[in-house]
Amino acid sequence: MKIGLVLPSGPGYTETFFRSKIEGLQKSGHQVILFCTNNPENFNDCPVYLLPERSPSKIKQVFRMWLEYLKLLPHFKTIKHYIALEREDGTTWSRIFKRIYNNAPMFKYELDWLHFGFGTLVMDCQNVAAASKTKMAVSFRGFDIGVYPIKHPHCYQKLWDKVSKIHVISDDIAQLVHDQGFKGQVPLVKITPAINTSYFLAPEQKTESDLVRIVTVGRLHWKKGLDYTLQALSILKKEGILFEYTIIGAGFEEEALKFAVYQLGLKDQVIFKGKLDPKDVKKELLKSHIYVQYSVQEGFCNAVLEAQAMGLLCIVSDAEGLAENILDGQTGWVVPKRQPDLLASKIKDTIGLSKTKKQQIRDAAIIRVQQQFNIEKQQLEFIEFYKENKTI
Amino acid sequence: MKKHPTVAIYSGVSASTTFIERLIKGLVEADAHIYIFGADSGKPIQHKNIHYFVHGKKWHKLYVLLKYSMLLFLFKSKEKKALDVIINEKYTNKLLWQLKFYPVLYHQPDVFHVQWAKGLEDWIWVQNFGMKLVLSLRGAHINYSPIADPELAAMYQKNFPKVDAFHAVSNAIAIEATNYGAPLERIKVVKSGLSGKDYPFELKKVAPKGTLNILSVGRNHWIKNYSLALDVMFVLKSKNIDFHYSIIGMDDNEGLFFQREQLQLQENVSFIKTLPFNEVQIAMKRADILLLPSLKEGIANVVLESMMLGTLVISSDCGGMSEVVKTSQTGYLVPIRNVEAMAGVIEEVTTLSLETYQTMILNARTFIEQQHSMEAMITEMLDLYHKITVDNL
Repeated sequence: MKIGLVLPSGPGYTETFFRSKIEGLQKSGHQVILFCTNNPENFNDCPVYLLPERSPSKIKQVFRMWLEYLKLLPHFKTIKHYIALEREDGTTWSRIFKRIYNNAPMFKYELDWLHFGFGTLVMDCQNVAAASKTKMAVSFRGFDIGVYPIKHPHCYQKLWDKVSKIHVISDDIAQLVHDQGFKGQVPLVKITPAINTSYFLAPEQKTESDLVRIVTVGRLHWKKGLDYTLQALSILKKEGILFEYTIIGAGFEEEALKFAVYQLGLKDQVIFKGKLDPKDVKKELLKSHIYVQYSVQEGFCNAVLEAQAMGLLCIVSDAEGLAENILDGQTGWVVPKRQPDLLASKIKDTIGLSKTKKQQIRDAAIIRVQQQFNIEKQQLEFIEFYKENKTI
Repeated sequence: MKKHPTVAIYSGVSASTTFIERLIKGLVEADAHIYIFGADSGKPIQHKNIHYFVHGKKWHKLYVLLKYSMLLFLFKSKEKKALDVIINEKYTNKLLWQLKFYPVLYHQPDVFHVQWAKGLEDWIWVQNFGMKLVLSLRGAHINYSPIADPELAAMYQKNFPKVDAFHAVSNAIAIEATNYGAPLERIKVVKSGLSGKDYPFELKKVAPKGTLNILSVGRNHWIKNYSLALDVMFVLKSKNIDFHYSIIGMDDNEGLFFQREQLQLQENVSFIKTLPFNEVQIAMKRADILLLPSLKEGIANVVLESMMLGTLVISSDCGGMSEVVKTSQTGYLVPIRNVEAMAGVIEEVTTLSLETYQTMILNARTFIEQQHSMEAMITEMLDLYHKITVDNL
């Protein structure tokens, strides 16, 4: 089978999800090609085709567009079909021509599946697969279905009748797809994220200390709820609990978060590590006791899976997939979002648990991640996914 | 009449923010000569005492550069050479800085007043040519940017001790600036002034009952802490309080849109784009409560304006806000980052009698008239300029 995967950019070294998916499909004999706007880390595990850029110069842009149209001449029938489909949708001529240019590489290959890695990527490409007589799959992962439609209501309304199969990463995301008007027209398949369980291994014995080391890995973004986490930690500090909190990640919220640390009097407790490579993330996880992911919106969160696999006690919010990622009271704890006092009290309770109870939670989390969120299982699920009309 | 020193008010552009424009207008009306340098973004104040030496785009930039190069070459050749040495040592894009600096050197005001601290380092040189350097201590530039940016903090530490005088908008921001080496004795607190005639007071005739109309006004920035305000609204809704909350100046924040949806506040909360001054005034007059949930402020102008117009203020206790908002006298002050406290105070306002509500808004108007008059602001600013130029403070 020949599968075209559409992503914003070529998978980076740390993006194991797409790398392992591609590897799994190739191992099982499928051919994968990747369409993306850029490829900063020169990903080359499969053929990569860059989507055309827009030039800031109008003259250059017109020249580029004509050049691209000329290259599409051998695919005239596909383009003709595409134009007819877009006209049926009421798309204006100027927009159609822009879309033909933007999606040009996708028209040139005969594929069995064209799979958009995020819902937002399909917005201007909903007829590309049909024009090429290819089946279309779309993945929904969090932002694309939880946040994007708020400012773009009904943005997926036409998609549900065009897509051949939908992939979601959690039950909550599936619910959001239904909330956006999906009525079960095509199969909807849940395949959760997975991690390399032989790389993220828990130490034999987790050392305890008076200084509790808490850690979060993630972009410094409003979604991650880090301001609520810091408020919770300021409560713990007032209660005299000794802790150190490490934030691994970079992003737009850095100024706001550093100010919060200063204003909440947490300068001696909070360390901003910036973005780290997986090797250093692993080192930080090894040193830490508790992992906190108090997001306000979260598709599933690989970092929480990695933390569980490394034997950390995980406390997460109930945002979307997190409540599925952690089984409350069994493999960690789930706290209602946006309530720092509840988070503070959960962290305090966790610190106060007996060694045996802590170990019991850790063990349960490790076993569950190893059994249910390993890459091999995910690869098999994707192979099944592309088998026509077969759901998992 | 005492002759005032010539003053350059520098914000980088010719048409600046409302409060800087207000300062310029007051100064020229008090017969001071004001020079404006920088990029031409419009000339909103027309007065015989205001002198715009600004540059436009492309060809006009070239014209301005050639004009001042020639004038300096002919009349201030020694000074030009000295400034060129500074430019050559410090900057790679020399033409850009010549364009910025030459007009200032040629017109050489007695005082060069920098409005935004982040640009201070570029203007230290004016002191080499006999100009006195004044810096305004305003909002973000002092309150939080140097906390997250150690390089900026180091720049302040290096240059604040060199500044001839500082203008602070509140006592709180003056203290904050001393953390970066600003000598306290060189800081003069000159509070923002408002002209009563621009803010007609209306005594509200109905106590806040029925649908409570809550308003915030301010730019889309994390320091405004609108996220906390939405959490407060969620608490109010869960207590079945009938309210509507509007934020003017914020209509494009993905996180807040998401939060409104997640907390199911779509019916109760409106995000409104930036509006002209008169429309903001109308909205303020209609509101029962002006809410300021900020994490840090100098003294928020929107609060002063609201107090002048007769709308009750509930503000977080940040920066200099406690210098104007006195709980149960001129409004309400609540601890920062405290959802329950802010919701509690809003709830309390719904129980106020008309008499208490009216007393508080009358007190607020009187307080601002007495403590934040336009006349006092101008007199004190001129006093600051005189002291450094004549008395050598």
